[in-house]
Amino acid sequence: MITLLRDLRHLRHRLNLSRPHPGGSLAIRHCDAGSCNGCEHELTLTASPYYDLQRYGLNIVASPRHADVLLVTGAVTSRMHEALRTAYHAMPEPRRVAAVGECALGQDLLGTPAEIIGAVDTVIPVDLRIPGCPPTPEVIAEALFGLLAWRA
Amino acid sequence: MTPPGDAYLDRIATAVADGEQFAGLYATSDRQMVRTVWIAADGTPRPESIAVVDGSVPSIVGLVPAAGWDEREAHDSYRIEFDGHQPLRPLIDHDAPLERWTVPIRGQGTYQVAVGPIHAGVIESGHFRFHVVGDRILHVDAQLFYKHRGLEKAAEGSSLPDGMAFVSRACAGCSVANALAYAHACEQVSGQRPTDELRRVRTILAELERVWNHLNDIAAVCAGVGLAAGNTTFAALTERARRLNATLTEHRFLFGAVHFGHSPLEWTSDTVQATATELAALCSAATRGWRELAFNTSFQDRLLDIGVLDPADASRLGVVGPAARAAGLADDVRTHADRLCYGGFLPVSPDRATGDVRSRFEQRGLELWQSFTILDQLLDRPVLPSRATGETDPQPIAVGIVESPRGRTTCAVEAVDGRVSRLHLRTGSYANWPAVTAAAAGNLLPDFPLINKSFELCYACVDR
Repeated sequence: MITLLRDLRHLRHRLNLSRPHPGGSLAIRHCDAGSCNGCEHELTLTASPYYDLQRYGLNIVASPRHADVLLVTGAVTSRMHEALRTAYHAMPEPRRVAAVGECALGQDLLGTPAEIIGAVDTVIPVDLRIPGCPPTPEVIAEALFGLLAWRA
Repeated sequence: MTPPGDAYLDRIATAVADGEQFAGLYATSDRQMVRTVWIAADGTPRPESIAVVDGSVPSIVGLVPAAGWDEREAHDSYRIEFDGHQPLRPLIDHDAPLERWTVPIRGQGTYQVAVGPIHAGVIESGHFRFHVVGDRILHVDAQLFYKHRGLEKAAEGSSLPDGMAFVSRACAGCSVANALAYAHACEQVSGQRPTDELRRVRTILAELERVWNHLNDIAAVCAGVGLAAGNTTFAALTERARRLNATLTEHRFLFGAVHFGHSPLEWTSDTVQATATELAALCSAATRGWRELAFNTSFQDRLLDIGVLDPADASRLGVVGPAARAAGLADDVRTHADRLCYGGFLPVSPDRATGDVRSRFEQRGLELWQSFTILDQLLDRPVLPSRATGETDPQPIAVGIVESPRGRTTCAVEAVDGRVSRLHLRTGSYANWPAVTAAAAGNLLPDFPLINKSFELCYACVDR
């Protein structure tokens, strides 16, 4: 195990992430409202040793009940509409919503009108827009740092 | 005279007896025909059709259990009845009551656990209904299609080049494989064959996709066990592989790299050399990490005899890809991929291919080294822009087949006057989801995440 971890020691120092607001933390709940899984793959890697967002207090949590931020990926499908609204209403105030990726922002949507409702802000209010198809882990990290300042 | 339905079933029975493999079933958009796709032993695909009479066709699930999901989908989406498929449970129709889409389980101490559609992490949306007694899973019903976007329907009427977006953006994890299957189908429709250079660059892209996926899947199994050191090691390698993708194609998931009829990619000898060097470094780091995992007995013990998919079930359910090879079915589309560049390819599988989580884990490792070797051989000279050339007769219906990181992906394209009249994408994940639920039965509920991660199937390209 020590061998496994030794190689990873210097990875995060090679990155030019800006210094986020010191202190504070964000509990983030992820909801896939109809993505292609690209945003999920990139979001997963924000926890990889290159970015390691947990060191800044950014944590993915397992319930909307203790989340500060609802992070939504994908254009909202008619089948995810209700689940997304339920998750949003289960969050305590104050809460923020981040729409991640072009689909969540309503850009270049693919699908039929019967199945796709549209951008996240047609269903719930959106506070933070993170563009990209998909946004890189770096872009996601920088955008979330902005919310750290709000929370602190 | 034999009724047409009986003759159809006879033809299906003959196909099964001849060792042809079932690779999909779909209804045409006018609801007049139901087509099945068959793959001969030499890898050639062949569509088989039957006319819909009074909204109904004979079911083939008795002969081909692997067609179960396909028939349920055609029923929900195209309102076609399948005579003999009983009970025909809803698959895409989410309005149906619980009793209709789940298997009834009764007995002392049985209860249900409902999970999803939103999961407790960064996971795609889907609903699982576990029937449990104590901690043991009796049966799982998966309700997917929460992310159904109607992509196949939306693609109808678009030109062949424009149709590419609907397929390649269906799923980020299988983008290249899906796009290649579509390109192969479109090129057959318009009577084209890829040149050697086009075959080479496409094979490089397919293997780059396999490399990042297998690295990601190895990390996922480590996460499923809770081994952070293994997870972070392979997550870091996944990141490196995606950066390499971005260097080569300006996209970390290789979006937009596959085109119908041509490839604009141009890589100088310096780029190709640097790519080969980075892949060699990735291979060496992955080998080091793999060795650590191989000798970590507490980790390896955790994988043993969990989520067993036996060869009979794998064959019956039509399982494909690494999951099938890990259960002892040595089948790989790459063996007969005449539109790609896999000369002399032989499928690999571990010595101990018993269909448990450990076999599937080891399978990923073996395939990863194989992909590094293939890439090293193909990256021996600069890559030039290339085209497909007109050589064969155009066909109104064509099927493209590609081995995605999760198994055989077929894309059927029907075209009228150069426009898509029906598009059907059946990915490795679609073929394998029934196997996840079969492998989970009899295991403990807390082991389901690990079993699920050992298949690591996409929801996005199943839901479409």
